[in-house]
Amino acid sequence: MCDSALPTGAFAHTFGMETYLQRGTVHDEATFQEWLAQFVDHQLVYADGLAVRLAAESCAAPGSGSGSGPGKDPRAGIDFLIELDALMYAQALPSQVRQAGLTMGKRLLDIGRLSLPGPCLESYAAQADAGTCHGHQAIAFGLIGTDHGVPATSLVSAYLFSTVTALMQNAVRGIPIGQNAGQRVLGDMRSHVTRAEQQIHELTLDDLGAVSPGLEIAQMQHENQRARMFMS
Amino acid sequence: MAPRAGRSVAVRQFHRGSLRVLRPHYLDASGQVTYAVVNPGGGYLDGDRYRTTLVLEPGADLLLTTQSATKVYRSPRDHTLQETDVHLGPDSRLEYLPDQLIAYRDARYDQVTRVAMEPSTSLVLADLVTPGWSPTGEPFRYDRVRLRTHVSMAGRPVVVDNLLLEPGAHGLDGLGFFEGYTHVGSLLMIDPRADDAALADVRALLTERSSHLRAGATATPVPGMALRVLGRSTPEVSEAIEAVVNLLRERWFGQGAVNLRKY
Repeated sequence: MCDSALPTGAFAHTFGMETYLQRGTVHDEATFQEWLAQFVDHQLVYADGLAVRLAAESCAAPGSGSGSGPGKDPRAGIDFLIELDALMYAQALPSQVRQAGLTMGKRLLDIGRLSLPGPCLESYAAQADAGTCHGHQAIAFGLIGTDHGVPATSLVSAYLFSTVTALMQNAVRGIPIGQNAGQRVLGDMRSHVTRAEQQIHELTLDDLGAVSPGLEIAQMQHENQRARMFMS
Repeated sequence: MAPRAGRSVAVRQFHRGSLRVLRPHYLDASGQVTYAVVNPGGGYLDGDRYRTTLVLEPGADLLLTTQSATKVYRSPRDHTLQETDVHLGPDSRLEYLPDQLIAYRDARYDQVTRVAMEPSTSLVLADLVTPGWSPTGEPFRYDRVRLRTHVSMAGRPVVVDNLLLEPGAHGLDGLGFFEGYTHVGSLLMIDPRADDAALADVRALLTERSSHLRAGATATPVPGMALRVLGRSTPEVSEAIEAVVNLLRERWFGQGAVNLRKY
């Protein structure tokens, strides 16, 4: 699931990094790492990272899968997943970012059903089939992991690190930087991901989608950038 | 608010505590009513809680603004919370164009805006955050500014805008944040008439200003658009926001430019 070659289409998305590339702000190993750290700390943590944790916890909680009726944990069950799914879609303001979560989500739902099926994933995928959910990658990831007994904290770290890896590979091709430089960035990002996971542990649903203005403007501007290599 | 004989009027109005509204104005012949919110205390204090509820009945049309900038004084112990709940009935319209926010050194300000609307409703929400105020004139000396806007349509969340500005130890100047700029403006417009052509025209307005502003516009999940603008002064950023609002007022309502007489 964390293999960067998993065919979800992550190779096609930079989440606004390509705009910085075109501006000349990101042009080498150091500037790429600076952007990557900002992206992880000020967007990924509050969106996908938090969604992985909340999805995993909602399915691991007792009473999950049977709706959040009276007396049950409101953070559990399919009703909460439907709400989380709608919020994940609504919080992604730049339309390319929203679309990326959706396309990769659809791929991950298919892959999960084929190779790692389980009850949490299946109930979410059924909602996506029915059109009640959009199907987001981070939620699907959290559910697949929970179906197979992986604790939420490990799932969050794994998701963050595989996103960082995919972005590093795109930087190697897009900037370009050398393969060794890419590996150095990954090495440096390891402790960063650990801190990000700890931060996610403290967040609540109200924090979902918090973002900083510069990152978001770059993601919006990417929509009308000429000659782009990436879809976001 | 409700429409009565071609003009929108307040059918019920209530306030308690330090927020007031000035008497209504009609700025043009459209029937749209304009109200300005006033804080006679001059600014928000630590621990203050403000709550505004707006209900627009079907067909009502309201332009809401503020009398002056919102100042948030230092919050050494707690924080200041401004909550706004908006209910927009079918075919109603709200334009909310407040003055800028000025957060003082050590201020912690949370603004939560919840809008419940219908597919036929028209919504314009703007915000402008300055680098704040500090005795030394240094920018970004506030502790936290968070503007969270949650829009739902027919009961489902459709747009969540959660702008979080926490200078911390590293300040806010760098990559990903203000990138050398000092002021941030946001504009959310949800309207059934919004389409790709309107978005393209809005982008053209922003491109004309790209020598002094950095801005992005994007389509929202329901017909509408979201804008984020970075600039170096309140007049520069608010001019861009007003230009976009005016373009769409003309296009969708055949209405002239907003002319907010401050009194």
